[in-house]
Amino acid sequence: MSAIDDPAEQKFVMLLQAHDERAFNELVCNFGPKVYRLVYRMLGRRAEAEDMTQEVFVQVFKAIGQFRGDSKLSTWIYRVAVNACKNRTKYLSRRHDGAQDVLDLIADHEPLHQAKGVTIGELSRPDQMVEGHEVEVIVRSAIAELEPDFREALVLRDIENLSYEEITEITGLAEGTVKSRIHRARAMLKEIVERALGEKIV
Amino acid sequence: MSTTNHDVEKAGMDEAAERRLKDLLRGAVDESLNEEPVPDVLGGVQQKLRLRSGGKFYDDAWSTARHAPVSTYLITSLIMLAVLGISYFVLQPLAGRPEPVRNQPTPVEVIVPAPRSAK
Repeated sequence: MSAIDDPAEQKFVMLLQAHDERAFNELVCNFGPKVYRLVYRMLGRRAEAEDMTQEVFVQVFKAIGQFRGDSKLSTWIYRVAVNACKNRTKYLSRRHDGAQDVLDLIADHEPLHQAKGVTIGELSRPDQMVEGHEVEVIVRSAIAELEPDFREALVLRDIENLSYEEITEITGLAEGTVKSRIHRARAMLKEIVERALGEKIV
Repeated sequence: MSTTNHDVEKAGMDEAAERRLKDLLRGAVDESLNEEPVPDVLGGVQQKLRLRSGGKFYDDAWSTARHAPVSTYLITSLIMLAVLGISYFVLQPLAGRPEPVRNQPTPVEVIVPAPRSAK
């Protein structure tokens, strides 16, 4: 049974499968930012993420003929993106280049006066703002430290907010394995962050 | 008691700590990413496909345009209109003067019937 019920989406998929260039432009415009964010969260490098996002869409263009509509188009694209990221991570780790750029971490954070959303509660004092900024860097560094399989599960569930069903479709893993990985990823992240902060996350 | 998958996920971390961890995660990753512009990947994707397909896809400027090229249509229309106008004004003097129309009626010969002779 096809997971695509919307006739407009079915028609869109048919256009994509016929390699209609305008339809593909529309696909890239619609899904480009989402895929970029996912890839960036998985790889942790801005320049790498941009190139990887382009590669994901090239793969989508080449493989769209194999899309049978068993899942949503977005889920299928996410699967392509996750697999591409895994391959890239393996390639980078073989080159002993797996760690995230420290410069990226420094360059990516917002200016101190805009620091927000990192710690719970208001950050009205400058020393608290500096603290918030440090926590942000620590958390992002901790995410980068996770093993790729665990990072993937954590990103899909806790950052992308996908359902377990969607994550199992994307990763091809059993639901139990997915849940187990999410649990272990959270525990590892908690441990790394607590160690860096020197305090417990309550 | 058997342990379900959900229990496995929750084990070892209470709800408050889990929420706090999620807040930290989203705060650290989402905020900075959402505020920064996402790079435009369309041009790069088109270029890669053009190169790797040997020019089979995205080989012309029309197909790589993000939107319909309205300005191109408009400029082409204006150029065509100008060409028609110039042609008209150049060719008009060469057309010569039209032959004057003679409006005089053709003379009509009136045949008067011969009077009948009385018998």
